[in-house]
Amino acid sequence: MKTLKKMDVILLLCLFILATAGMLTLFSAVHSGDLSVWYKQGVYWSIGLSAMVAMCFIPLRFIGLMAWPIYALALLALMLVPLIGDVHMGARRWLDLGIVNLQASELMKWALLMMLAYWFSTREASSVKDLSIALLCTLIPAGLIVIQPDLGTALVVMIAAMVVILMAGFPWKWFMGLLALSPVAGYVLWHNMHDYQKGRVLSFLNPESDPLGKGYHVIQSSIAIGSGGLFGKGYLEGSQSRLHFLPEQHTDFIFAVLAEEGGLFASTVLFILYAVLIARILIIALQAHTRFGGLLCVGIATIFFLYVFVNIGMVSGMLPVVGVPLPFISYGGSALLSMLLALGLVMRVSIESHGKVSWQRPGSALV
Amino acid sequence: MWNPLEIRQRYNLRIYLFLVAVVVLVVVLFARMVQLQWVQYNQYFVQSENNRIHVSPILPIRGMMTDRNGLGLAVNKISYKITLIPERVENLDDTLAFIQHLMQWKNERIQRLKKKIKLSRSDRAVLLKDHLTWQSVAPIAARLHHYSGVNVVAATHREYPYAMEAAHIVGYLSLVRDVDVQKGYLRMEYVGRSGLERILEQRLHGELGYQYEEVNARGRRVALIKTIRPTTGENVQLSLDITLQEVAANALQGRTGAVVVLDVHTGEVLTLLSMPGYDSNKFITGLNSAQWKSWLEDVERPLLNRTTQAAYPPASTLKMVTSFGGLAAGLRLAEGSTQCPGYVELADRRIRCWKKRGHGKVDLHDSLVHSCDVYFYEMGDALGMERLSEAIKDWGFGERTGINLPPESRGNVPSKRHPSGRNWYRGETMITAIGQGSTTVTPLQMARFAAAIANGGKILTPLLEKGEPVRVIRSIEVSKQALRSVRQGMRDVVAEPKGTAHWQLSQAKWTVAGKTGTAQVVKISADDKRTFSDAREHQDHAWFMGYAPFEKPEIAFAVFVEHGGHGGSAAGPVARKIVDFWADKMKKEREQDQP
Repeated sequence: MKTLKKMDVILLLCLFILATAGMLTLFSAVHSGDLSVWYKQGVYWSIGLSAMVAMCFIPLRFIGLMAWPIYALALLALMLVPLIGDVHMGARRWLDLGIVNLQASELMKWALLMMLAYWFSTREASSVKDLSIALLCTLIPAGLIVIQPDLGTALVVMIAAMVVILMAGFPWKWFMGLLALSPVAGYVLWHNMHDYQKGRVLSFLNPESDPLGKGYHVIQSSIAIGSGGLFGKGYLEGSQSRLHFLPEQHTDFIFAVLAEEGGLFASTVLFILYAVLIARILIIALQAHTRFGGLLCVGIATIFFLYVFVNIGMVSGMLPVVGVPLPFISYGGSALLSMLLALGLVMRVSIESHGKVSWQRPGSALV
Repeated sequence: MWNPLEIRQRYNLRIYLFLVAVVVLVVVLFARMVQLQWVQYNQYFVQSENNRIHVSPILPIRGMMTDRNGLGLAVNKISYKITLIPERVENLDDTLAFIQHLMQWKNERIQRLKKKIKLSRSDRAVLLKDHLTWQSVAPIAARLHHYSGVNVVAATHREYPYAMEAAHIVGYLSLVRDVDVQKGYLRMEYVGRSGLERILEQRLHGELGYQYEEVNARGRRVALIKTIRPTTGENVQLSLDITLQEVAANALQGRTGAVVVLDVHTGEVLTLLSMPGYDSNKFITGLNSAQWKSWLEDVERPLLNRTTQAAYPPASTLKMVTSFGGLAAGLRLAEGSTQCPGYVELADRRIRCWKKRGHGKVDLHDSLVHSCDVYFYEMGDALGMERLSEAIKDWGFGERTGINLPPESRGNVPSKRHPSGRNWYRGETMITAIGQGSTTVTPLQMARFAAAIANGGKILTPLLEKGEPVRVIRSIEVSKQALRSVRQGMRDVVAEPKGTAHWQLSQAKWTVAGKTGTAQVVKISADDKRTFSDAREHQDHAWFMGYAPFEKPEIAFAVFVEHGGHGGSAAGPVARKIVDFWADKMKKEREQDQP
């Protein structure tokens, strides 16, 4: 009970509002069709929230000890995917574990964050050797994800890892060097992309060029968002979603449903909620009493923010279409579960830091 | 080398930087939303409405055409058509294969349709096939739910019950062409191409209706928003009596020719028959090129409307014009008489009368009754070409009658000024006076001439619609004396036992006044007449024109039989049938009016 009382109220409040908004929007997106999706999401929420609360009782020490084994497991899974994975929508991403299908890249995302946070919690992040090891641990799984192919997740993983590495304290000029290398990386990447990925990038650059093809999704979601106006068409009244002009409207494009029916008002409220949530996680990172907890929170905040920004950027036509969910709103069990578990970790960091002085120097991860 | 405190500060600083970055990027997202939802709201709202609402036009019902008794000349019959809206079709090849399988269409048709679909607007229905019976579309109608975008629609199609008799007047429709689409027609509409269907297009067409439907992304109708009903086109009642026209057609017995019957007072057209006709229904159901070619190449030219578009030498029927001219000029010959020895001597030549032995002493009355040429040669000679051609023009020849059925031929009235510039000879004036030479008239002009004699000199515009206001082009100043003389002559053509049409028309149910005409097609010298007489194209054209009843005229008519032979014997019996039919009909109507 004592632990539960120490849970972060702001996070819980944001989460509660997001959950409500998510369930309402999802209902709107699917009410004219298959409602079972909505019931399932309700089940996922209850499982996820229970898992989050359970997470609050797991000491960070223990999680730190598990960081390397989990990373090793995720890497193994990632390597197994090309050999025995299921092909789904032209990409091999899923491992069939009998009961659940595991998306190895999803696991790797969190495993890599924990591993990096743990790795830097005892180090001053001052040597090229440390940096090289961290980069190697990032680039190997990222490369494996790229060849699946799942460019979106690979980018998310790499950016989140880079942010954590940055926070660990390496000097700026080292990163400038890495940044200078990125055009080369981009060139190599483009030549290794699948045709459908190139098509997405191209159609993003000029959606009207192929309105019934690859650009269709973005055009229709832009129409949905734009036609919402200031205060929207009203709940369950969005014609773009009700009449199924929106693609993937209960998963990746669900933001368009919310923006069409709630207008600029609803999208602004949603942005504020996300901003508060992420800012709160970063503040927890500032106040964390171990370096491990702090870096963990930074990584999680990065992933949340990347999801929000990439998803909304994609749906509103600012970024190419990559399969990234909108946190807590999009339908999908494993994504919701992993994000709630991550939020549980943040809560645990907050609980453990409660009433203690923030960390002063890099030290044992387990203290 | 690294200060732990410095690391801690760097960490804090970078988290603050991260926070700032988050806020900046959220503001970027917000700016994008402002752009989409506020600045460009109107544009996107219109686009979402366009997505949501599908407007489909509803074709109006085309107005019908009936004859003066209400019998349908151009009517609408129910049939079924298969249409396809390209943007709603998921897989065009599969869908067409499915239709092909059920309808058992040939591959070429499918290829043609594919081309047509490619050229059409993707949100508008494309016509695949129409004029189908329910039996033939039922298999498709039953399986429609498997294939989105395909529809079976009940529609009306045009039918012409009296096509063979009235096609030249009623005309026909055919499917739109690209030029029509540019004018605003829809891809699946039919447009009037000929005859009254073309001329009255605006009135018959009616106005399009529209159906506003809410559709989902697959093109399926979700709800009906509103319907604007189409306006049915105007029904047009023609002045024609199609039964009389049939009587005339039967009387022609398959010969090539034309029959025109007019109301002498109003100018309403009761019959406007050109034979042979053609089946205009073929244009509606799809005319194949072989059929079209056969019509074009037929020597009898079925597509030609002989009543208005063809002009023939009027022959002796023009003698009334010469008579009026002579009487109006006060020529002595008009009041007196002359000797007909069978020819007129002119310089070293002899111009013959049709009767080799001559008619003896003849006056105007005798000359009309027996159709003596010599009398009119002399009258024409005395009148002179200027006055003669003036008279011919006066009585409505050489000008379009103004019937609302263009294109129309003017015919030809010669004048002293030869187009070639050579001198005009006296003999030519004399030939003109008996209706030979270069004068040509249309059967409609001839009937109008007959009506003018009957109504006292009023040249009327022939009217095709019942109850249209009468249009008098001009009233010719003609003395009662002159009218009486000419009318009596025409009456005795029928009444006198030696009149040229006595045998054919004296027993008619109404008293008929008329005039025969036998137009030479080839100049035949006395010697080789026998060699030519067998070939049909060398046979004379036969005319009979006149009016009835003599005492109180009601109808005027002109019967023309191409290469029919003698006017009295070839054209007379047709006139007899017309007069008898109309007399019976009027009698019946009067009995009904006064029980």
